[in-house]
Amino acid sequence: MSEVRLTVNGGEHVIDVPVGASLAHVLREELGLTGTKIACNEGHCGACTVQIDGVPRLSCIMLAHTVEGEVTTIEGLREHPLVDAFVRADAVQCGFCTPGQVVSAAALVAANPEPTREEIRHAMAGNICRCGTYPKIEEAILSWQD
Amino acid sequence: MELLRPSSVEELDGGVPVHGGTEVVPLLREGLLAAETLVDVRGLVPRGTRDGVIGAGTTLAELEVDPSIPSALREACRLAASPQLRNMGSLGGNLLQATRCWYWRLGYPCRLHGGDRCHARDGEHREHAIFANGFCASAHPSDVAAALVALGARLRTNRRELAIEELYRLPDEDDRRTTTLEDGELILEVELPSVQASVYLKAMDRRRWSFPQVGVAAARVGSETRIALAGVAPIPWRIESAEDLDKVTPLPRTEWKVPLAQALVRRALAAVD
Repeated sequence: MSEVRLTVNGGEHVIDVPVGASLAHVLREELGLTGTKIACNEGHCGACTVQIDGVPRLSCIMLAHTVEGEVTTIEGLREHPLVDAFVRADAVQCGFCTPGQVVSAAALVAANPEPTREEIRHAMAGNICRCGTYPKIEEAILSWQD
Repeated sequence: MELLRPSSVEELDGGVPVHGGTEVVPLLREGLLAAETLVDVRGLVPRGTRDGVIGAGTTLAELEVDPSIPSALREACRLAASPQLRNMGSLGGNLLQATRCWYWRLGYPCRLHGGDRCHARDGEHREHAIFANGFCASAHPSDVAAALVALGARLRTNRRELAIEELYRLPDEDDRRTTTLEDGELILEVELPSVQASVYLKAMDRRRWSFPQVGVAAARVGSETRIALAGVAPIPWRIESAEDLDKVTPLPRTEWKVPLAQALVRRALAAVD
């Protein structure tokens, strides 16, 4: 076991976990932040996306001991207008990928508040939706400020 | 397992180096890489670009938007992986990616794993090599490596300077490795010559990021036009001219890659002409 210090959604945490534990594992199992999902667990699908200092990264293949910077999970974006935008656009079917989608989208609109469809497709390409809600996710991001 | 953070390259003493972790972490989890010690090398590897020299710790996301970087490398970075992976993965790490050959990934006792046969040659090989595939038919997945070969990049490690082509070797009976990097050797910087024009074209099985079916980089460097391909050989593959594509040795279910490579090479050469 080895100590990890993390700042998550503004809160400080010091925990003991084995070297090799992923950030996703620590968020879910140690901190109870189960909004971050683990699907492929090998860096393909984007369900585990979190922001580190505002930049989307994959928490399932990020070693907890190597995290440098502030972690923002879906729980930290509870009040973000994108959440309502996803509901309005009906951009959720099974919902498993949605936390990762919102985390990626929040980073996109923070950098570029009015992205084009092409910019949305480029920035969201790392979040896979098995239900195929992509057109509605695009609508949600296009209308997030409405 | 322990994690070390040496403060200088001289302190390196064994262990598996980790930078962004996008390559090493999945390999560890799959049991394809064994480590008692991980070494966080982010403090040792330069990051950022200056006067045509790129720190090997620069992320792909940083390179793809850097106007001082030749188009071929920017485009290879942009197409290499998902946004999240490009935010994490380093240039140096990308060059050291292992093949996506499913037999190797699933731990079959293939030649790359030290065994005595290439399972892909007799089995499923639609994504595999069309050049240099006699011993091992795996295909090298790095778009960025192909771009750097075409650009004529040179590497500086903590032990030597070398042309990027010298980083790679074809595996053989005596040595199954695909790189010449030694234990404890770290890629620190990548130096690019002055390039007049360059391009990277990539065929994927879907339009957004995926590993290359065939990637083609072409660059005009001085009086020379250099071409290198990803996804067609066990290592990044340089060809001297479009005619070299007549020397392919595709397996039955990789023949489809040949016209694809021919078309991409033709378009890439037209783009840098």
